[in-house]
Amino acid sequence: MNTFKYTFLLFILAISSSCEDFVEVDLPDHKVTRETVFNNDKIARSAMTGIYNQLFNTSFANGGNHSVTFLAGISSDNFKLTTNNEDMREFNQNNITALNNYNLELWAGAYNVIYMTNSLLEGLENSESISDENRKSLEGEAKFVRAFTYFYLTNLYNEVPLILGTDYRINATASQNKQADIIEKIIDDLLDALDLLDENYLENNRARPNKAAANALLAKVYLYVEDWEKAENYSDKLISQASLYELLGHEEVFLANSREAIWQISPIGWGSTLTHTREGSIFIYDPTMNTPVILSKDFMEIWETSPDLRYDKWIGEYTQEGVSSYYSYKYKIAFDFSGGEIEEYSMVMRLAEQYLIRAEARAQQNKLQGAIADLDMIKQRAGLPLLSVTQPSISQQALLKEILLERRKELFAEWGHRWFDLQRFDQASILNDKPNTVWQPEHRWFPIPENEILKNPKLNQNDAY
Amino acid sequence: MKYFYTHQCGFGLILLLIFFSTTTAKAQNTYKLSGQVTDTTGQAIPGVHIQRINTTNGATTDFDGNYNIEVTGNDRLSFTYLGYQAQTIAVNNRKLINVQLSPSTEALDEVVINAGYYRVKDRERTGSIEKVTSEDIELQPVTNPIEALQGRMAGVEVVQSTGVPGAAPTIRIRGQSSLRTNFDDNGNLPLYIIDGMPINSSPIDSQIQLFEGAGVDPLNTLDLTNIESIEVLKDADATAIYGSRGANGVVLITTKSGQKNQGIKVSTKLYTGMSRVDNFLNLLNTQQYLKIRKQAFENDGVEPNAYNAFDLVLWDENRYTDWQKELFGKTAELRSASFNISNANETTSYIIGASYQKQGTVFPGDFSYEKKTFNLNLNHQSKDKKFKLNLSANYGLDDNDLFNSSTFVSTALSLAPNAPRLYNDDGSLNWEDSTWSNPLATLQNEGKLSTNNLISNLGLTYRLTPSLSLKSSFGYTHLTSEENIQTPIESYDPDMWDRVTNRSQYSDIRRNSWIVEPQIHYRKTWGQHHFNTIVGATFQENKNTSLTISGRGYIDRNLIGNLEAADQVSIIKDRDLTYKYSAIFARLAYDWKEKYYLNLTGRRDGSSRFGPDKRFANFGAIGAAWIFTEENFFDKHLNWLSFGKIRGSYGTTGNDQIGDYRYLDAYEATPGPDGLYPTQLTNNDFSWETNKKLEAALELSFLNNRIHTEIAWYRNRSSNQLVGYPLPAITGFSKVEANLPATVENKGWELGLSAKVFQKQSFQWNTSLNMTIPSSKLVAFPDIEETAYANTYRVGEALSLDILYEFEGVDPDTGYYTVKDVNEDGSYDYDDRLITKNLGRKFFGGVYNKLNYKNFSLSFLFEFVKQNGRKTSSLPPGRLGNNLKSVTEYGSSSPEDLQAPSQSINAFLAFNRYAYNSDFSITDASFIRLKTLSLGYEISNDFTKNIGLSQFKLFVHAQNLLTITDYEGLDPQSPGSKALPSLQSLTGGLQLTF
Repeated sequence: MNTFKYTFLLFILAISSSCEDFVEVDLPDHKVTRETVFNNDKIARSAMTGIYNQLFNTSFANGGNHSVTFLAGISSDNFKLTTNNEDMREFNQNNITALNNYNLELWAGAYNVIYMTNSLLEGLENSESISDENRKSLEGEAKFVRAFTYFYLTNLYNEVPLILGTDYRINATASQNKQADIIEKIIDDLLDALDLLDENYLENNRARPNKAAANALLAKVYLYVEDWEKAENYSDKLISQASLYELLGHEEVFLANSREAIWQISPIGWGSTLTHTREGSIFIYDPTMNTPVILSKDFMEIWETSPDLRYDKWIGEYTQEGVSSYYSYKYKIAFDFSGGEIEEYSMVMRLAEQYLIRAEARAQQNKLQGAIADLDMIKQRAGLPLLSVTQPSISQQALLKEILLERRKELFAEWGHRWFDLQRFDQASILNDKPNTVWQPEHRWFPIPENEILKNPKLNQNDAY
Repeated sequence: MKYFYTHQCGFGLILLLIFFSTTTAKAQNTYKLSGQVTDTTGQAIPGVHIQRINTTNGATTDFDGNYNIEVTGNDRLSFTYLGYQAQTIAVNNRKLINVQLSPSTEALDEVVINAGYYRVKDRERTGSIEKVTSEDIELQPVTNPIEALQGRMAGVEVVQSTGVPGAAPTIRIRGQSSLRTNFDDNGNLPLYIIDGMPINSSPIDSQIQLFEGAGVDPLNTLDLTNIESIEVLKDADATAIYGSRGANGVVLITTKSGQKNQGIKVSTKLYTGMSRVDNFLNLLNTQQYLKIRKQAFENDGVEPNAYNAFDLVLWDENRYTDWQKELFGKTAELRSASFNISNANETTSYIIGASYQKQGTVFPGDFSYEKKTFNLNLNHQSKDKKFKLNLSANYGLDDNDLFNSSTFVSTALSLAPNAPRLYNDDGSLNWEDSTWSNPLATLQNEGKLSTNNLISNLGLTYRLTPSLSLKSSFGYTHLTSEENIQTPIESYDPDMWDRVTNRSQYSDIRRNSWIVEPQIHYRKTWGQHHFNTIVGATFQENKNTSLTISGRGYIDRNLIGNLEAADQVSIIKDRDLTYKYSAIFARLAYDWKEKYYLNLTGRRDGSSRFGPDKRFANFGAIGAAWIFTEENFFDKHLNWLSFGKIRGSYGTTGNDQIGDYRYLDAYEATPGPDGLYPTQLTNNDFSWETNKKLEAALELSFLNNRIHTEIAWYRNRSSNQLVGYPLPAITGFSKVEANLPATVENKGWELGLSAKVFQKQSFQWNTSLNMTIPSSKLVAFPDIEETAYANTYRVGEALSLDILYEFEGVDPDTGYYTVKDVNEDGSYDYDDRLITKNLGRKFFGGVYNKLNYKNFSLSFLFEFVKQNGRKTSSLPPGRLGNNLKSVTEYGSSSPEDLQAPSQSINAFLAFNRYAYNSDFSITDASFIRLKTLSLGYEISNDFTKNIGLSQFKLFVHAQNLLTITDYEGLDPQSPGSKALPSLQSLTGGLQLTF
């Protein structure tokens, strides 16, 4: 019995001392702890590159069928659906239910980007080993992306929670903020970014925002909040940088790092041998590939009297059994699995929009000549007769109407411009002309996803839902 | 099917008698006598009671059958052990007496059960353990040992989701306990232990779509004929000693070993045969099909043209092809050979063997499954019997030579019967001007998967004193699996060739693990109190790596797969995961008078899958049994009852089957280059899922053990589910890993019955039945509406649930099916799906019969399952594509049952989206299947004896020979599935032993 006791005790001692340590495992090769990420300039930079890569994959910004480009696009009057997809149909008929999955994807994607930027900003804050130079640009870039994301969130959903940290225990019960507060934070972030970002694109990579990108977004933010003067100022600053930006031929605009681009998202985010943009695959109509949309009849009618270069270069035609369908052909590559050079980047902001911003800001301030000059830059490139020639003394109202039309023609199929413009110009009632629509003014805001309200009862649903 | 062993019961009483009838022996010159007690095969018998007749002194043999006892030279000793004939031996001044006990004739079935860390007599077990032995499973021409368990064990549900050889079957022991059922995150896998070595039971991921996502089972590399027994541990009493890994039950596989003193033995088994699909759907022929198609166009008021009706306008209306026969109607050959040599003397025994198995497929073309295995088992015992060694090694090579297609079988069901011919006159594939997708094209997508698997274990035991032994086992496994899938452009329509390119995907999966388990075994008897103790520890490390590389742009088809020749190579996945596990465990078994039994087991586990503060947890169970027929009362008044036992157990087990490293706050590489990103919210506070198991059972034998019954009731409650705590997306993600107070309850009744119907010298007939009546329920799941499980599970309902619309029959205006818009909002969504149907099994089981008449033996197993299931889906009648023959009844007998032929989109939505997701699609899918049928003839005459044959047996074996069901589908086993059904096979062969 003694032998037993003795052995037993020894055994237990030996085991219990080694058990606890034994189950420690090293970090696997495919993970880096948060601590390590922000311990070193190079790795911290990867975290920002990760955000750019993921912007191409996250539903909100990727140009695919859950993106702002697509969902705000089909909510406007530019597109006609070619599919029976119930979720898409709801957007197209301005009858989105709070249960719509695409709406949730869009929302969730945007907040995933916010999380990534917050995570990076917190990481920077808690780290002492990042060089000042790097810290500056990383902070600037992260704030820019965060501001950009909130800009779309608040313009799609009105009041949304302004999440600025990563602690899910706190964030899970966050309430909505007033739109004015959100805008203020967006402007704060952008002003910081303006301060922190570099003048030039690093290695001419326009997928990484520079100072001018912050500038351009500020112009857009002020335009949306109808601070015409500031909108004019910021767009003015942007347009004056002729060394970086110019209006290009229509075939060149959407190419990778084109000189018209202020900020683009690169399909390098695919992380595979795919090299096309999602806009290319979703808009270039191919009935065998179940492409979900074609351009609407209403949209095609605007070209009837004056088909310009954009009609020629940016609109494709598909004929089957004698019936023509038209589709957005800004991006030329629908599918490329070759793994070769990436030819097209997904455009987020470009010079032409800045001209249109300045034109509108000037027109609103009754600086009509300046506005006409800006608008003519766009018309000229499109091969249209110039307003300064045809209607040099156009009224302010008529000019604004002209600007709205020009925006529709220039910016269709990009980042839901038409949808936001209709709201801004108070023209959304024309959505009633769409087939099957149930448009009501309250539908200008998408519903807060039902799932979100269930999980966080502090969130309030938008009116009309 | 489980064996219900009968018991010899009188012995307990005899023992008692012996105890109480003894008188005090006078002290004479005593000395120490020792020896060993073995059975007729030379296996040691532990626990044999040795009694000095007419004294109160006695002893018990240890694990190795050895005993020591103080005796006088003229004592007489009685050796008694349940199930064996008692022997009385005079000492006659000897110092060593080895005794061989013969089984008592009425208790031939006294069986020792492997409970993993210990062995227990079936009579004495306190837990719920099922067992099958080699002779019942070895003839089955299946690739996987788990498949062989179908219908044989109560509480064990085995489903073969596809008949493609090599695909992993699903096994659930007492139901689904975890809500996580994804392939790479499945919390329902049992623990597999092969000769003491735990192996990762999750199927090996394969991208070959023919496997229907089931993966390949790591047990495929075992040779079925080399398995001695399979035990399945079910309740807390049996599984708690496996702690965190026992929640879903434990499958113990023991391979064959040499038998003591048998001398050299050579045995071989050969069989060959064929297999085929025996059940095809009853589909339309061309004439019936075209009639319905034309009717559809008429109903729709549409003129068929070259765009909307290839089949009517372009294709030959006189063609008819039975696509099922064409695409999976081939007869596949199969053959198997196994060979082993064993030898054993007093101290050493070994068995060494090899096997080969090859199966063709029922698909056109030359595809196959091939398996080669090698096995070794070595036992050695030192002369003084203090030291023991056991080495077991199993090595298997598995080659799946298939093609990559997910729709090959379902295409055969949906192709129009007048679809074009497969080949052009020149032998090339016919694409009929791109009006169809030639089904044979995908045969060119070669998919090859080879798996090498080594499972080895070394056990060393040293006996310090007769009651105390030290033991340690050392296990090592090494599995590599390589897969190569090729996609040449020829698998596409030539019209597409300029848009596609030759490509390949290569995957390499490795699983390495080692384990060390030192243990102390202690056994002691004080009078009528018997104690049996184990204390042990486990250290285990698993390393799993996987690498997936895709190559594309091969210039020539022949080069596909050689990554060097690829234009583009990219890494799809590269993972290197480590899992570490450690534990201390203990068992204390106690019995008094071999009548009252108590079994305490416990384990303290640590797993690297949890955060630093949550790595350890305790699990334990208590089991008790009372053999009430040992009480005097029964012997006097109820002697028709030969054995009766009540047993029960309660305890907790856990589940750490989640991914590795989930608690880490870390960044991962983005798919795009040079980027890192956070992929999850971090919580390092989550821990084990726990499964509390309760069981009560009654075992009875009647008529001198001719009939044995066992009835068990169990209730398992699995809580602390690791399903992710739902979070609003504003947190950045939709969930965080956390234990949820969600509870799953599985309870049910298990019934076993076995009877020796005839027990004559020349004719024996044994029959047995097992049956399980399971029920599962999601007892609690707070806030389920907000989780990804909202539309999968319902609180208060069974887990295998379908949530459905209410079917409302045919709309008289449109002729289409309709379902109820419950909330009348004009659209159909989950708010309208209020009907729930339990698709789980209502009851299932098997009936097994085994007959011997002289040299003939016959055995057969029926599997029966009562369940509801989904109908086989099809397109709405009238659309391009074949349909069930029953649609021809439209317009005749009961039109309200059938949707009007139409190929409009609304007809499609009504049929496939709404009606198919309503209670309309649920039907009875019960079946009875003659799972196995074996007939054997043993040749035994002077000739065979002269040439040294100790056994010469011829046999034929049929698998899935007959299925009785009303279900209209390929295989009622997995209703609704369009995968290849389980194959029917017929094999014949011989078994020789020299």
